[in-house]
Amino acid sequence: MKALREAAEKLLREKRVSLVIGYEDRKGRPAFFAAKPEDCGRLAYDASCRQNLAAYLGKPEIRARLPVAVVAPPAVLRSIVVLTAESQLPPGQVLALAVDGDSFLGTFDAAGVAELLRAKYSTLAPEPALLERVQGLLQKSPAERAAFWEAEFSKCTRCYACRAACPGCYCSRCIVEKNAPQWISTAALGHGNYTWSVMRAFHQSGRCTLCGACEAACPQGLPLMLLNAVLDREALEEFGSRPGYDPEAKPLIGSWSADDDHSYMR
Amino acid sequence: MNDDLYKPFLMRIETARDEAPDVRTFRLKFAEETERAEFFQRYRVGMFGLYGVPGEGESTFCVASPPTRDGYIECTFRKVGRVTQALQELEAGQAITFRGPYGNHFPIEDWKGRDLLFIAGGIALPPMRSVIWNILDRRAEFGKVTVLYGARTAADLVYKDELADWAARPDVTLVTTVDPGGQTPDWKGKVGFVPAVLKELAPSAQNCVAVLCGPPIMIKLTLPVLAGLGFSAKDIYTTLENRMKCGVGKCGRCNVGSVYVCKDGPVFTLEDISRLPAGDM
Amino acid sequence: MKTIETRRLPDLAQALSAAGYCVVAPIEEGGVVRFREWAPGLAIAPGAVPANSSKDFLFPRSEVVARFALEPGGFSPAPVERSAVKTVVLCARPCDAAALTALDAVFNWDYRDGAYNARRQAMTVVSLACSKADEHCFCTSVGGAPDGVAGADAILRPADGGQLLVLDELTEKGRALAQAAAGTLSEGPAALDAPAVLPRRFDSEAVGRWLAANFESPFWKEAALACLGCGACAYACPVCHCFDLQDETDHAECRRLRNWDSCGFGLFTLHASGHNPRPDQSARWRQRVMHKFSIYPQKFKTLACTGCGRCSRLCQAGMAIAATCERIEALGR
Repeated sequence: MKALREAAEKLLREKRVSLVIGYEDRKGRPAFFAAKPEDCGRLAYDASCRQNLAAYLGKPEIRARLPVAVVAPPAVLRSIVVLTAESQLPPGQVLALAVDGDSFLGTFDAAGVAELLRAKYSTLAPEPALLERVQGLLQKSPAERAAFWEAEFSKCTRCYACRAACPGCYCSRCIVEKNAPQWISTAALGHGNYTWSVMRAFHQSGRCTLCGACEAACPQGLPLMLLNAVLDREALEEFGSRPGYDPEAKPLIGSWSADDDHSYMR
Repeated sequence: MNDDLYKPFLMRIETARDEAPDVRTFRLKFAEETERAEFFQRYRVGMFGLYGVPGEGESTFCVASPPTRDGYIECTFRKVGRVTQALQELEAGQAITFRGPYGNHFPIEDWKGRDLLFIAGGIALPPMRSVIWNILDRRAEFGKVTVLYGARTAADLVYKDELADWAARPDVTLVTTVDPGGQTPDWKGKVGFVPAVLKELAPSAQNCVAVLCGPPIMIKLTLPVLAGLGFSAKDIYTTLENRMKCGVGKCGRCNVGSVYVCKDGPVFTLEDISRLPAGDM
Repeated sequence: MKTIETRRLPDLAQALSAAGYCVVAPIEEGGVVRFREWAPGLAIAPGAVPANSSKDFLFPRSEVVARFALEPGGFSPAPVERSAVKTVVLCARPCDAAALTALDAVFNWDYRDGAYNARRQAMTVVSLACSKADEHCFCTSVGGAPDGVAGADAILRPADGGQLLVLDELTEKGRALAQAAAGTLSEGPAALDAPAVLPRRFDSEAVGRWLAANFESPFWKEAALACLGCGACAYACPVCHCFDLQDETDHAECRRLRNWDSCGFGLFTLHASGHNPRPDQSARWRQRVMHKFSIYPQKFKTLACTGCGRCSRLCQAGMAIAATCERIEALGR
């Protein structure tokens, strides 16, 4: 903790950043914005921090204050790489204060983040508990799975906390808000809810870093990580995509190749 | 009163005419006499309605015809979004949904015996046109009527036939102007921005009410000119054009400060507006 | 005193159900307690503040308000059935019940909302006094109390260390309900538990005064930095009532729907012209606070907040409206 606070304070003191986005040292570990060196004593990090602070990097009010630093556990480091690969971060304007468990790993720029990930986290796999939940779901019959999702999606109020939580959801106008034509029903009912959650997950395939922020943010407790984890596995197995390691990588759903497997098109 | 607040009337388009690029006017007839009678019992100039195309939604704009012509209503709108696009594609004979009239109105009964100055820019003439016709249909009750109307180009002027009527009337002073470069070779009006033309026109503020509608930039630059001519904030009227959905003070969308524009407005004096937070408009 | 053992709440629900009520109660599912329709076999979780509020049963998150049959080249209006099922909300929090009087105001000023009123009339609210409060609760700062009765038709008060509940009927509807459930109620003495102790955190009138004078304060920019602009707080709020009207079609039919909406969303006030009066999140967060503590009291003589704390309890970014109000009160000193 001390090392993180000192590093943050140094960045602000040396005016390398105008803001450090971190977690506050109080119950719930809410997001905290340190603008002055003396604020940094209030920073904290532990495993209870579920918010992905990279989500703030798309917010106009934060963009207006670049350069900034972000407190980043491994999944957030990967988000930074994804955003870099998708040209969403102005070069040199975002620094990561890398943390993992109780350790502070140092201050990194985008290239440094990618290097750190490759060196230290190249075998980063989804949490075993998550894989167990996925296995449990996949053991159900298709009809049971459909019933399971129908029951879950029926709880969705369409508050879009999942979207707000996700650094990958940075579109200025989300597809659910496009109305000419209207692709997805905006009513918080049956098929619209189903389409919304599935569409959200699909738009994250090959981009999601399994940080868990969307699921943690959902006021209704929808098991959104099940969708993300299955798509993560598909992206890896079908396309060899491991998002968040290579800042030069072409985004999986944003690229096309003549060598792609087209056998599904009949 | 009907408490089924979102259940619209059905109205049939009697005539549809193009006014300017992307601007169209409908004359609408009520499907039911009871609905017509109820409408005109409540309708005063300045009120608005929600015009809808099932499948696309509803859009808010003023009623552009006066209560003195109570067989129909007219509306004039520009194509800007999903609903107005769908409305523009309709032709005479087809039906739309309508809810209204909603909102407050211009207090024209208080204006009897006073001179009236109307200043409009572009697509903002329609909310004023209902007032102008209402006044002209009861001409003897009011003083001098002056209309200053500006648009970007000559093609963008709406109600071109009516402008010609007003220009020909001895009891109306009409001044039209277009932005520099917006004139056609046969343009007979002024060339210049509304604030400058107003300054040159220099109408007397003595016993005069000014009604001002137009794009924010025009309003911003015209207000100091009116103040310079001696108009007081309580004698300058305008309308706020906030985004609305319900029209009946429920949905929360049109809030500006403590005002619900759909219920407390859309008509405000400059004095009213000066008490609202500018950062919310 | 009319009493029922706390563990027998499902029997009360059963009796009311048999008497023709649709029973809504806090029910746990997948780790989340929410108000939902009770059915035989379901346990009732009276201790929790459910994730949703009882407004869901008056002002549902999506509702058909008009219907049209689509035909080639046109349409014709189709009827909308107004559903107002006799409903009881069992174990509503006192802050939920109080919220109903605040909602009544907006749905009935000048234009009366028939669909809302029909459901309101058909609803009986049985609140449950709180014997504990968490760090997000602040009803006492907004005119409420852990055992407040505003908006309730009857109130259950915990007694004998939570073993018993004492039923007080407060209105005609409450008496009718007690009659319908008479078979599950006993008559006898009970020692009422003390209601939760919840010190007042801020003076809402002082907050309102500061708000009325500080629309343009730099406070807002900084106060809203963490807000990510989702609708979680508004949708969980028992008083928030902003909505959108949207048309949806399948081939033969158009349904005009009233869907919940939130002033926290960027598109809420976006004009078709592209102009947005509230272009950033600070303007939107300001609207949320203003509407609850300044606009609503000015307009309707009641706050649009009952201190349930749901917004803060579930905010992913730690936005807390009570903390904001405390800071505002301090600014006003």
